Amino acid sequence: MIIENVIGAFGEVIQIKILLLMGLGVLSGLIAGAIPGFTITMAVVLTLPFTFGLSTVEGLSTMIGVFVGGLSGGLMSGILTGIPGTPSSVATTFDGFPMARKGRPGLALGIGVWSSFFGGIISALLLMTLAPQLAQIGLEFGPWDYFSLVLFALTITASLAGENLTKGLIAGALGLLVATIGEDDINGVARFNFGTDALKQGFAFLPVLVGLFAFSQLMSDVQDTASARKPLMEKGAKAVRVEHLAALRAIAGNWINLIRSSLIGVFTGILPAAGGSISNILAYDQAKKASRNPEQFGTGHPEGIVASESANNATAGGALITMMALGIPGDIVTAVMLGALLIHDVVPSPSFIGDQPVLAYSIFLAFFLANFLMLGTQAVALRAFLLVTRIPMYMLAGVILAYCAIGVFSLHNVTFDIWTLFWFGLLGYIMRQLGFPLAPMILGVVLGDIAEVNLSRAVAISDDLTLFLSRPWSLFFLIIAVFSMIFPWYQKHRGNKTWTLAFLPALCLSLAPPLFMMGGIPRPILGGVLIAAGIWLLVKHHRGGWKLELPEEHDVQLEET
Amino acid sequence: MVSAINRDTVIAVFLLLFCGVFYAASLKIEETSYATIGAEVWPHLILAVLFVLSSIYLFQSVRATPIEATKHEVNFFTRYRNAILCYALFLGFLLTLDTFGMLLGGVAFVFLALSVLGERTPKQLAIHAGVAVVSVGAMWAIFTFALRVILPEGTILSIW
Repeated sequence: MIIENVIGAFGEVIQIKILLLMGLGVLSGLIAGAIPGFTITMAVVLTLPFTFGLSTVEGLSTMIGVFVGGLSGGLMSGILTGIPGTPSSVATTFDGFPMARKGRPGLALGIGVWSSFFGGIISALLLMTLAPQLAQIGLEFGPWDYFSLVLFALTITASLAGENLTKGLIAGALGLLVATIGEDDINGVARFNFGTDALKQGFAFLPVLVGLFAFSQLMSDVQDTASARKPLMEKGAKAVRVEHLAALRAIAGNWINLIRSSLIGVFTGILPAAGGSISNILAYDQAKKASRNPEQFGTGHPEGIVASESANNATAGGALITMMALGIPGDIVTAVMLGALLIHDVVPSPSFIGDQPVLAYSIFLAFFLANFLMLGTQAVALRAFLLVTRIPMYMLAGVILAYCAIGVFSLHNVTFDIWTLFWFGLLGYIMRQLGFPLAPMILGVVLGDIAEVNLSRAVAISDDLTLFLSRPWSLFFLIIAVFSMIFPWYQKHRGNKTWTLAFLPALCLSLAPPLFMMGGIPRPILGGVLIAAGIWLLVKHHRGGWKLELPEEHDVQLEET
Repeated sequence: MVSAINRDTVIAVFLLLFCGVFYAASLKIEETSYATIGAEVWPHLILAVLFVLSSIYLFQSVRATPIEATKHEVNFFTRYRNAILCYALFLGFLLTLDTFGMLLGGVAFVFLALSVLGERTPKQLAIHAGVAVVSVGAMWAIFTFALRVILPEGTILSIW
């Protein structure tokens, strides 16, 4: 079945035009990802208007190219200058930059590029095999479960997105509120239009997103006049020759680390809210713990680069698994990707892969191929990146602002969308300045309609609200939503307060009952394993006299990738 | 100088007022006889959550230790000058879009934005003008001729 679909997808994707578009997308992503201050999200958002005139497969393949390129682009600046291009390459600089300073920048780049490639390929293979399985699980979801899943996605994003959980939750609620403006999808009634016709249709998703994210980001980038006038990179990056063979040899000696880090990346991506900015740090920490030479980490050790780069590229596949199978975006990048899919009349859901297998597998295949194109275009991107770094930020910002206006207008050919861009750009900038994270708000805008439709369906089926607690999947998501809200306190007090030692055992023990309620064989077994793990942790802490352990070196926090 | 703690309190109060305004607006949402749940239920739920969160935020801001404003902190306009000017220019671009159109308005916006943000020596101004014409012209051409998007043309320069 999978092979048949892959063969069908080959016919769709393997066309010169699509490959060229993907190549361009990958190249753009690589350059955008390499520029500090630019994010993958911005690259994907800015590419979207160019895809309006393309067919669904062409447009989506281009966007996926940008996504994959962006994830790999961050390593170039991270290794050559010590400034990560994107938050998903932060851990790459820990060893990549020292290795470059020791005179091996070509090897560091080679290890980074090939690790990104292998991480991407591993996650592409898992995407093709796991997404249909997850979609099968998704078919079990009723509206109660979907509503709780959305709630979980919002709470975990809010808890990971900033230091202040309250601000994150407020941002999420504001996003949900923005989504209610305009005509109600269920009853066709106008809401919050304040007597104006323009607001009756509500806000289009893309102008809101470009405004909140790109416009406000650009304004933050040029806030300081002196730094805005300087070239993008003050530390001069020089062209280097990538040492492919030496890099492959280094990776061959690190294959366990590569696979472990890729799996960490994939499973981090599957979790709502957790993106490449988290997975690269987690994989780096795990690689350090598992290494025979942990003391060499941070001095230019290949294992560190392998872990970080394979994990961040693998995260993309993981995030696509959740988005394609459940229709729930994991982070801002996948929220934009979801927006792109919707614009191209593709509505991901549990039944989507079964209903439109060729299109679904075309997307999977495009992701797979984009990793090869990333490998091929890295050398070109490196040269282009060196040229772009000579441009001052203010010039890029001014030009991109105009481009945002043109791109947003081309969505529906109405000036109202540019006004939306302006107002949400202003709102996004103010929120940034006041320390409100934007990720929960953007997810709120995207998920608002899904939450409302499912709440409405749930109430239409039964007015018994206890179903939210008695249905296993709904209960499961609500429990992890509660724990995700406690997570910031856990992270803050870990190593200082005794109660933090009970956090993980309590999570394990709480998640077991819904797994037992699901029935069957594997899930109750998993529930049993969780109970055993919870009890084992409690006993371990009890025997240790509830002695506090030193906290991890790196905090887990979501940043805009 | 408004300290950070006062700022948070002001934001929290603003959010509470915002909830009030939206709640009042939600009372005007049309009620339908055919709906399983009314169109106002979901917004009311969100507003209730937002109200509770804003109240918690207000409580936290009042309880938090006041942060002393540093002596060398720059004033509001100096700090936000670039952003304010860019937003003002963008607003001007939007208000004059019907007159100048996307091409002329876009070129003018980029030129003015670059000149406001960058240096204003004759050489730099010439570079800004060149960048504005080439970048907006190229984007306009791609969208108009390649992607067949009819961008606002304005009353001054009528292409079609």
